[in-house]
Amino acid sequence: MVGLLPLRPFDASLDGFRNDALFAITTLMVSVLFVIVCGILLWAVVMHRQGRHAAVYERGVGQRHLLFTGFITAVIFFGIDGTLLVDAWLDLDQALWRFPRADEHPVEIEIWAQQWSWNARYPGPDGTFNTPDDIVTLNDVHVPLNRPVVLHLRSKDVVHSFYLPNFRIKQDVLPSVETRLWFQASAAGVYEIGCAQHCGASHYRMRGLLTAEPPADFAAWLAAAAADAARKYDASDVEAHWGWPWT
Amino acid sequence: MDVTAPRGLARVFSRDHKVIARQFLWLGLVFLLVGGLMAMYMRWQLAYPGRPAPFVGVISPAGYTTLFTLHGTIMIFFAITPILIGAFGNFCIPLQIGARDMSFPTLNMLSVWTQVAASLLLTGAALAPSGGPKAGWTAYPPLSTQLGTPGVGQTLWTLALVLAGASTTMGAVNYLTTVIRERAPGMTFFRLPLTIWGLWLTSILNALFVPILGVAMLLLFCDRAFGTHFFLAAAMVRAGGDPMLYQHLFWIFGHPEVYILILPVWGITSDLLAFFARKPAYGYRVSVLSMCTVTLLSALVYGHHMYVSSMSPLLGRAFMVLTLVISAPAMMLVLNWIHTLWRGSIRLTAPMLFTIGVLFVFGVGGLTGLYLADIPQDVYLHDTYFVVGHFHLIMAAAVFLGSFAGIYFWFPKMFGRMMSPRLGKIHFWLTFVPLFCIFFGMLILGNAGMQRRLYDPSVYETFRPLQKWNKGLTHIAWILLAGQLAFIWNFFWSLYRGAPAPQNPWEVGTLEWTHASSPPSVHNFDEIPTVLHGPHELNHPQLTGKDWLGQAEPLPGGREPGAREPEEKS
Repeated sequence: MVGLLPLRPFDASLDGFRNDALFAITTLMVSVLFVIVCGILLWAVVMHRQGRHAAVYERGVGQRHLLFTGFITAVIFFGIDGTLLVDAWLDLDQALWRFPRADEHPVEIEIWAQQWSWNARYPGPDGTFNTPDDIVTLNDVHVPLNRPVVLHLRSKDVVHSFYLPNFRIKQDVLPSVETRLWFQASAAGVYEIGCAQHCGASHYRMRGLLTAEPPADFAAWLAAAAADAARKYDASDVEAHWGWPWT
Repeated sequence: MDVTAPRGLARVFSRDHKVIARQFLWLGLVFLLVGGLMAMYMRWQLAYPGRPAPFVGVISPAGYTTLFTLHGTIMIFFAITPILIGAFGNFCIPLQIGARDMSFPTLNMLSVWTQVAASLLLTGAALAPSGGPKAGWTAYPPLSTQLGTPGVGQTLWTLALVLAGASTTMGAVNYLTTVIRERAPGMTFFRLPLTIWGLWLTSILNALFVPILGVAMLLLFCDRAFGTHFFLAAAMVRAGGDPMLYQHLFWIFGHPEVYILILPVWGITSDLLAFFARKPAYGYRVSVLSMCTVTLLSALVYGHHMYVSSMSPLLGRAFMVLTLVISAPAMMLVLNWIHTLWRGSIRLTAPMLFTIGVLFVFGVGGLTGLYLADIPQDVYLHDTYFVVGHFHLIMAAAVFLGSFAGIYFWFPKMFGRMMSPRLGKIHFWLTFVPLFCIFFGMLILGNAGMQRRLYDPSVYETFRPLQKWNKGLTHIAWILLAGQLAFIWNFFWSLYRGAPAPQNPWEVGTLEWTHASSPPSVHNFDEIPTVLHGPHELNHPQLTGKDWLGQAEPLPGGREPGAREPEEKS
């Protein structure tokens, strides 16, 4: 059965479980509600049909009826919506919008989206963006395991949306203002980066790869990429200097 | 009063609300077919990426973007709006409130012909030699500007929407005024059929928010045609505006739009449930106030479309709370519907089947809204098929099931002939089951992470295992298409060969059935009735011989049914 029913992709992140848990509890609550309501509905349709049941004249305007409707609504509203709101609020405070502090030493990456690819920029050995020693990649983002990663995103042309299904997050990428996103990988592997916002005819091809690897492997990749970047740096290629100061 | 039917051009450019209603119905049904066929081609491409499709050959990536752009635009502005608001609004409002016509018949005539002009522009946009519109129905700039989508197709598309919006606004002003000014004596607001309440509240939203769409489209048109930079970022041109401004304008309109489309369905559903359960609508005033509350709230929640756009966290949380609040009045309305059915004597006619279908699909559509109202869940589900499934359950499944309920219900009054109930029931099962399966399947695909608007989802390794689901949904879509043949056949056959409709085939008490012939005469009513009570006085204990009471018919033995019943004293 599980094989037949498509489920969420593998969760490779520190905080993705919150999202999956919230989805599970929401599904549980609304399914119970839906089954009960539909059960009553079907019972009425089958048992209270013409010929089987005479209609009872009832306008449902008495105080008793109002209280009944109000009470059921309140139970459902505070039960389901209340649970959702509290859980979502905590999730925002504890994970999604709790960006890592400087003393947590997050990996900093700038993402420059364009039709139809993802450019990524690491600050290089000097720790400063848009300097000659920057590491620039195309559709290829590497991150270390168990260390927060902060992305600053901008678009060169139209609106894109940086989407990591395996990390349960996405963020629109705009040409007008910088947007931000953070995550932490907890399982090594190569995961897909998707574009979630329609960005033109080849939107469906705007796919990148995100490699999450142990810190030692990440350091090795970074060193090799830095050497490669130094070799290929071309001061006259203005197009390639798209980075911006990290603020 | 002797009024003869107009002839010649005066008949085409008629100012009679019943003729205009039929014109809107034809327009809407034609575009419903076109938009539906486009959906079939999209489903083909998703099931068999790159394989030549019947009659049109291989669909290109650019062609696919045009398809989904036109599908969304057509279904919302050229199919649902004309059928639900144009046709039912025009037909029902004067007849159900006891008026001879709309307050502004000429404006009404202009409204339908503006819609025709918009339809022609949209057709031009679709067939433009440089390619049709490609920016999606939401048309976010900069993609929708010349930078992202050059060509006359997209420009004509913005103008078509300006005109369609103008037509809707004209209708809205007319409906608002008519309901306020033209009600028959005794037809108080709390005696209006709930259909009228739905249409009236929809008109308020239309009058307030459709002009905002018009503004966004005009600014976009200026950006495209005159080189202005309202929606281009400063980083891209020397002096720029902000693409986010468009998203705000679009969704300030766009969220009320969802309720614009669903409120008439809620109204029709509420009335038809009462009519065919042979009981008064349970908690009439609570239903009315719920619909009013939803109308008000619908203007305050648009930000939930922009959780991942770049939004202040404070604003995001505020929109999350407001969005969740909408579920309370909606829940009360659903409880009233269930209560109306309970202890009724349900007649499972074709319109009633469609109405009960609305309850199911609206239930799932509404409940999936709870996930998307939630910021963390939306961050994962946004722009996936979960969203597509969610809004199609409401805006396609619930709205079209409700529209079909309305068509089966009012067809005898509109055209003077009965539709085949047998074909109607076949049509119901072949519509309800596939619609539900397709859109529920989309929820599952979205939860598995698949984004919307992908020409070929199998480009992503993650989504390759979903391909058999995409194929399955496409096959179900074919069943849905085949089922519509039952409707088309039934519609045309009944139009010419259907049994002549009696004045009140459904045995209900609203004015169009009790005081107007089928079809109604040009002036609707020989004498304007004086209304004595509400729209659903069914199975009142004082009735003898029949189980329904006309709105203008005195209750045998006196006593106003609106008075409090002994059994309801608390």
